[in-house]
Amino acid sequence: MQVFLQTVVGGVSLGAVYALVALGFSLVYRTMGLVNFAHGNVVTVGAYLASTFYLSSRLPFALAMAVAIGLTGAIGLIIERVLRPLENRDFDLMLIGTIGFGIVLDALIIMIWGATGRAVPSPVPSAPLDVFGLRIRTYDLVVLAIAAIATVLLVLFLSRTKTGAAMQAVAMDHEAATAVGIHVGRSNAVAFMIGAGLAALAGGLVGPLLYVSPALGGTLGIKGFAAAILGGFGSIPGAIAGGLAIGILDSFTAGHFQGYSELVTFLIFTVIIMVRPTGVFGERTVNRA
Amino acid sequence: MIHRRATAVTAAVASLVLAAGCSAPGGGDESSGDDSGPIKIALVDAQSGQLSSLGAWELKGARLAVDEWNARGGINGRQIALDVFDDQGDPTIGTNLARKIDSEGYLAMIGTAESAVTIAMAPILEQAEIPNITSGQSPGLVATGSDFLFLNGPTSTTYDETLAEHIVDRQGTRNIAMITNNGGYGKGEHDAFLEALRKRDVTPVADQVVTTDQKDFSAVLTGIRQKNPQVIFLGAEEVESGLIVKQARDLGITATFAGAAPQGTPVFIDTAGADNAEGTIVSSPYLSNDISDASKTFAAAYKATFNEDAELHGAKAYDGTQILLTALKTSNVATGRELADAIRATRYAGLLGDFAFDQTGVGIFATSVGVIRDGKLVAATS
Repeated sequence: MQVFLQTVVGGVSLGAVYALVALGFSLVYRTMGLVNFAHGNVVTVGAYLASTFYLSSRLPFALAMAVAIGLTGAIGLIIERVLRPLENRDFDLMLIGTIGFGIVLDALIIMIWGATGRAVPSPVPSAPLDVFGLRIRTYDLVVLAIAAIATVLLVLFLSRTKTGAAMQAVAMDHEAATAVGIHVGRSNAVAFMIGAGLAALAGGLVGPLLYVSPALGGTLGIKGFAAAILGGFGSIPGAIAGGLAIGILDSFTAGHFQGYSELVTFLIFTVIIMVRPTGVFGERTVNRA
Repeated sequence: MIHRRATAVTAAVASLVLAAGCSAPGGGDESSGDDSGPIKIALVDAQSGQLSSLGAWELKGARLAVDEWNARGGINGRQIALDVFDDQGDPTIGTNLARKIDSEGYLAMIGTAESAVTIAMAPILEQAEIPNITSGQSPGLVATGSDFLFLNGPTSTTYDETLAEHIVDRQGTRNIAMITNNGGYGKGEHDAFLEALRKRDVTPVADQVVTTDQKDFSAVLTGIRQKNPQVIFLGAEEVESGLIVKQARDLGITATFAGAAPQGTPVFIDTAGADNAEGTIVSSPYLSNDISDASKTFAAAYKATFNEDAELHGAKAYDGTQILLTALKTSNVATGRELADAIRATRYAGLLGDFAFDQTGVGIFATSVGVIRDGKLVAATS
């Protein structure tokens, strides 16, 4: 029983990070119908920026994260601006454009920070909590709390603000949205900016859990993408459920299947997707192409 | 008319391709026999991806050796050109690069630091007769049986035999758990350490295999915690090992960790956290930069050139490159089998020890035991 519960605890904190990555994927997909393949690389940029401001500039962790989110959000704006001329014209080129951006970001990361990575010490150095023999890291609780707050803020933004409502309208029917005076380009830009900000949040938070290296975004990007699909691409609750599910599934398969755990995780993922192609929370396929 | 000309051109191209394909192995690199211009050496390593820290260290070590030789006037008045190829730690990219360095006339190859990539490249380099000095340590490298593959350090068998001798024979510890990964390095470590334990009639209390991509080790570590081992053997690269140690300490595991080269690196200590890594037992042929005059000189030059502290992988690549360049000089810039024979005949007092290659391509057969104290690897006292 203890192994079972400890496995769940271990899977949940990384699951929360996968959920944040999935949220970024879903938000851009929801608004534009586009899979941003540069998203994983944006996570790495966010992780490096946060760790640089935290370790080199010696800013407090929260402030370093805020600056990193702001700067990474700006990168999201740049990506959208470059892709904008293709919007509603050539969807395939837009997809390839995001892949190209990913490669460029990867190269820039290595040029700026080098090929080797860096370890980020935990910003909350207190000892793990002991709950009936279960060990819970205090930093895991911080990650969970921040992920939860970010999700609530995102939902509130989409449902309660004018810009959020406009983005939802664009997602449903961009021509009708244009007709009522909504600026589709600006709406997409906001989606990209928030998506990149979420990527920076995930990257910054995961630094002290893992190790910041150019390869970081690769793993998180694939797991986050899988989480978004599992939950239902474009669905906000789906991204969260998918992220946590992938995190916990990963943790369990690691215990039971050892060296074959990755294979088993993706086999289970494939079976679920075969049974329910739109994902657990997905009701329809958003397709703006 | 145009059609006929096109057919003739196609036939000419096809016959050229066929002729190239039918030429003797190693015969395609005529440019390597050219005795003017720079001597072309390829360095193949991960310069991006998760294993890029290994590649970056290896590049620095090799670069230092080449710069030293070039500053002294090169070999036979020719400068040495060290060209870098990024394999991203991927065997598929590695095999493509093996063909590329063959077609572009490189005399020899330094790298890779990844056993799996080197093993994938070995048959192509053997056929092309391009000597290769690798930093990999998997016994699988020896198993390729290539006359052109040399190791610039010991194999896992040597590392883990020394480790088992220290832990079991000297310290009397028999309650040992193992965590290894399923990559080329981890598999070699798993088999070598298990064999060293088997020879001592010790059965590990846990033998857990993780994947090379795994990030969360809760399930594996909770299972091990219940077995309460005294020592946990790690057979994984530096970042993954560091994460395992960090998560183990968070779960309240107080056992001592033990491992080979990766566990002695700053990346391992930084990732695990110095407090968590304290007391880790490391089997390594290069314990510190202060062991000998040669290591002090090397470390000073390394620091002056790259502004960072030297470590094992840089030292290994430095030794390997020195051996290659010495063999090039003694063989009067020979190529192919003649160069391989010259490497095999080279006796070299290096940073890792005295190199004397046997028929399998291994040149060093001893490691020392170190311990991590206050965030640094130092020689073990007992």
